[in-house]
Amino acid sequence: MRDSDHDRQPHPRGDAHEFAEERESLWRITLAPTIWAFHFVISYAAVSVYCFRYDHLAAMGTLRAALIAMTALMLAAIAWIGWRAFQRWDVRGTGEFSNPEGNAEDRHQFLGHAGFLLALISFIGVVYDTLPLIVLASCR
Amino acid sequence: MTDHRIPAGDLAPEGIYPPTEEMLRAPVPDAVQARQKENLRRAWKTPQGWRYWTAVNNSEVGVWYTMTAFVFMLIAGVMALLMRLQLWVPENDLISADLFNQLFTMHGSAMMFLFAVPMFEAISILILPAFLGARDMPFPRLSAYGYWAFLIGGIFVIGSILFSAAPKAGWFMYPPLATLEPGIGSDIWLLGLSFIEVASIAAAVELIVGALKCRPPGMRVNVMPLYAWYVLVVGGMILFAFPPLIAGDFLFELERSFDWPFFDHTRGGDPMLWQHLFWIFGHPEVYIIFLPSIAIAAMVVPTVARRPILGYSWIVLSAVGTGFLSFGLWVHHMFTTGLPNISLGFFSAASEAVVIPTGIQLFAFVATLIAGRVKMTLPMLWIAGALAIFTAGGLTGVMVAIAPFDWQVHDTYFIVAHLHYTLFGGMIFPVIAGVYYFFPFFRKKMLSERLGRWSFWLIFTGFNITFLPMHLTGLLGMPRRVYTYPQGLGIDWLNQISTVGAFIVAAGFAVFAWDIVRPKKNQPQIARNPWGAGTLEWSHEIPETKWGVRSIPHITTRYPLWDQPDLVARMDAGRYYLPDAEEGLRETIVTSVIDARPIQVQRVTGPAYVTILAAGFTGGAFIFPTFHLYPPAIICAAFAVVSILYWLWTTTARPPEKDMKDVGLGLSLPTYAAGPQAVGWWAVWITMLGDATAFASLVFGVFFYWTSSTAFPPPGAAHASGSLVALATAALALSWALTRGARGLNRAGRVGLARGALALAPLLTLSGMGGFILSVIDLDPTSHVYPAMMWALMVWIVAHGIVGTIMQLYCLAGSIFGKLTPRYDADLWNVTLFWHFLGLTALVTGAMIGLVPRLM
Repeated sequence: MRDSDHDRQPHPRGDAHEFAEERESLWRITLAPTIWAFHFVISYAAVSVYCFRYDHLAAMGTLRAALIAMTALMLAAIAWIGWRAFQRWDVRGTGEFSNPEGNAEDRHQFLGHAGFLLALISFIGVVYDTLPLIVLASCR
Repeated sequence: MTDHRIPAGDLAPEGIYPPTEEMLRAPVPDAVQARQKENLRRAWKTPQGWRYWTAVNNSEVGVWYTMTAFVFMLIAGVMALLMRLQLWVPENDLISADLFNQLFTMHGSAMMFLFAVPMFEAISILILPAFLGARDMPFPRLSAYGYWAFLIGGIFVIGSILFSAAPKAGWFMYPPLATLEPGIGSDIWLLGLSFIEVASIAAAVELIVGALKCRPPGMRVNVMPLYAWYVLVVGGMILFAFPPLIAGDFLFELERSFDWPFFDHTRGGDPMLWQHLFWIFGHPEVYIIFLPSIAIAAMVVPTVARRPILGYSWIVLSAVGTGFLSFGLWVHHMFTTGLPNISLGFFSAASEAVVIPTGIQLFAFVATLIAGRVKMTLPMLWIAGALAIFTAGGLTGVMVAIAPFDWQVHDTYFIVAHLHYTLFGGMIFPVIAGVYYFFPFFRKKMLSERLGRWSFWLIFTGFNITFLPMHLTGLLGMPRRVYTYPQGLGIDWLNQISTVGAFIVAAGFAVFAWDIVRPKKNQPQIARNPWGAGTLEWSHEIPETKWGVRSIPHITTRYPLWDQPDLVARMDAGRYYLPDAEEGLRETIVTSVIDARPIQVQRVTGPAYVTILAAGFTGGAFIFPTFHLYPPAIICAAFAVVSILYWLWTTTARPPEKDMKDVGLGLSLPTYAAGPQAVGWWAVWITMLGDATAFASLVFGVFFYWTSSTAFPPPGAAHASGSLVALATAALALSWALTRGARGLNRAGRVGLARGALALAPLLTLSGMGGFILSVIDLDPTSHVYPAMMWALMVWIVAHGIVGTIMQLYCLAGSIFGKLTPRYDADLWNVTLFWHFLGLTALVTGAMIGLVPRLM
């Protein structure tokens, strides 16, 4: 049963089939938004703890710099996830922007497309949430 | 021939899949078809007479659920009319301030908890199986249980206003106002709605498992109806959004009943914790309401545009993206609470970011309409109204997401206008569109075109007359929730316009309600697919049959009715899967999560009283504490447990009469599944994810008190006994190990040892619970929030320990009485999964009670 994708239509990129057979997980498309969530929670928690308890210990600048550095790392990770997803979507190889067929190849490319778009929106979300760190220099 | 040494849960499907065109072409003899239909009819027969109420089929429960939610909505609407009458002239004395407070509290609470969220569950229960060509949801009795719980809880909550005992602190129940409120209003809100939240989580579990595991063979994730995507996202959101509120309710009720000072600042508590927990629930909830409603638009739009949706992946992005981002918005309800500006900045930014995915889906709909040949049907008219109103609400949303603007309009009628624009545009209008669109599906009759247009124009114009002026009323300074206002503020005429508009809206709803309930006996039979839609629900049979689908099709396209021309005729002829019910059992096919390969025949449960009993007793367990009547509450809880155990024991995961079943088209599927293959295992996993979220909210509470106060724990405070906490944690960890061990031993055929482990484990669980109780027994929970929080964690772990003990004993009994064997061990898998979570909860609780406070 595991190798039962006989219903797959003949496809111009036959060599991609083997790659498509991997057992994909729905979770993977939520990876980039999850990074956004971590970025959000860490920024918010760090700033709250600092502002309520430790603002006398160190300057805000250090914390902001640390968080912005974290942002850079996370943006890089999202970009990498997005790039991988873009390759899975394979729009340049197939010329297909949408993948409506009920076969393994289209399902594979669809998850790539969705993952790519989610990486895009997560990237924008992280950038938005970093703006307060750049614009505001103090707790108040 | 099946090998009896293999555990039944590990059996693989046998035979041919996918079916070939030749197989699908082979005719089914008429005599066979007639026999099959007779078998199916018998298996899926709706109970008659007063037994009708024991039905659990999604088509019955779904209709009750929708109608009940609709009635609650009408009642809440009447409350709004009373408020508008009171505000008709300045310094009016039509109704008292006290009643006005009850009215606005109940209007908001009922619209949110008794209408908007249940309506999503109701509609999904009603139509999701049809979208998926499934015979029913995987756990029909769970839907029925959820419905009865909703009905009982809803009547309890909304009925309180008749006794002038309703909550009156506003629908978000801010302490200290709500904690200090005399009377039982706040308790009714807390306990009644907690009870309903349990029903919501039950529905979420059902719907997620339904969308993931009950799709027809071949319906991969990239071809499933967009509605199913939205259901998945919203189900996931419910799991992470409702538990923080349940945790908040738990703390709140402990303060109301036992004076544990969680929100009392004089004893170290902090009312802000409630605001956080409430809005971590409350903001995602807005999207929990909005997304499934807009999902209806995603089903209607392709039909009226007569073309496939444009940007399927973009809409998936938008649903998933909105689902995530909506969790980063909660503090925008708390902009005026004095949090650091930089914190506000994060939430302001996320609030602006969420506009992007929300906008994308609206653009995808508009693009589909532009690219198609639109037929302006009645459902489309309502969708058009929805898009207009929601966009207006979205624009004011962008305004109030900017903190300085919010400071100006916070708690004014501007907010009232904004939230009604988003909810009418994002929920009411699309849902009504859905009612017009799906009515021929679930009632096999059409609603009136003429009444529909009357109702639309009345509600649309009435809505704008009511709420457009409110923006100005708010900007001129009228605060929300005041029962009257003085003359001469320049808001008199605005309020009068709003009141007139409210009655026009009411007239529109009256027309709509009449259209729904008016007798339609003489109406001609409708066309089978009256809108010319492409999705699977329109393969329904006319006149109505109760079996769902005649045979479960093999789906390879997004719009099977458009793209698979022979599909409906073949479904009707029983050429696809499960065309028969020779054992007289209700069955549906379970498929794999990503590619929907058939993996199992799932026997689903039929009509039962036990679900009504279980819901009634659960209701008693929640309702009696409102009146501080604890002994009857405990008795009800015990009976609820007994009812649920009876229900599980008699109908779930029983060894089947045969291991494999021929489902047609040369394919045989296992009839039993255990572990990750089984829908029950998924349900436990999803439930426990929600449970873990609630627990995480309590842990968050501990850290919240630590950050918000320099005296948590207070200097010199007594701590829980470290050694007892360590022993208790160890006992629970060992109990977990024995449960996990029992699963392996049982599978390996060492039944005696497995029983030994399952007999020893409950003793360890009990001693672990005892250890946790003794460790905090000397602390006084009413003295300060620190001991109160330690007690709350103890109560949480003990409550879970009780459930864990019952589960261990259930498996032990199953093993002794032959329900659970080395071959048929699904129960033990599910219980082990529960214990994985419980073991983790015990470790974290041990750390939070015994270790962390000493380091703080």
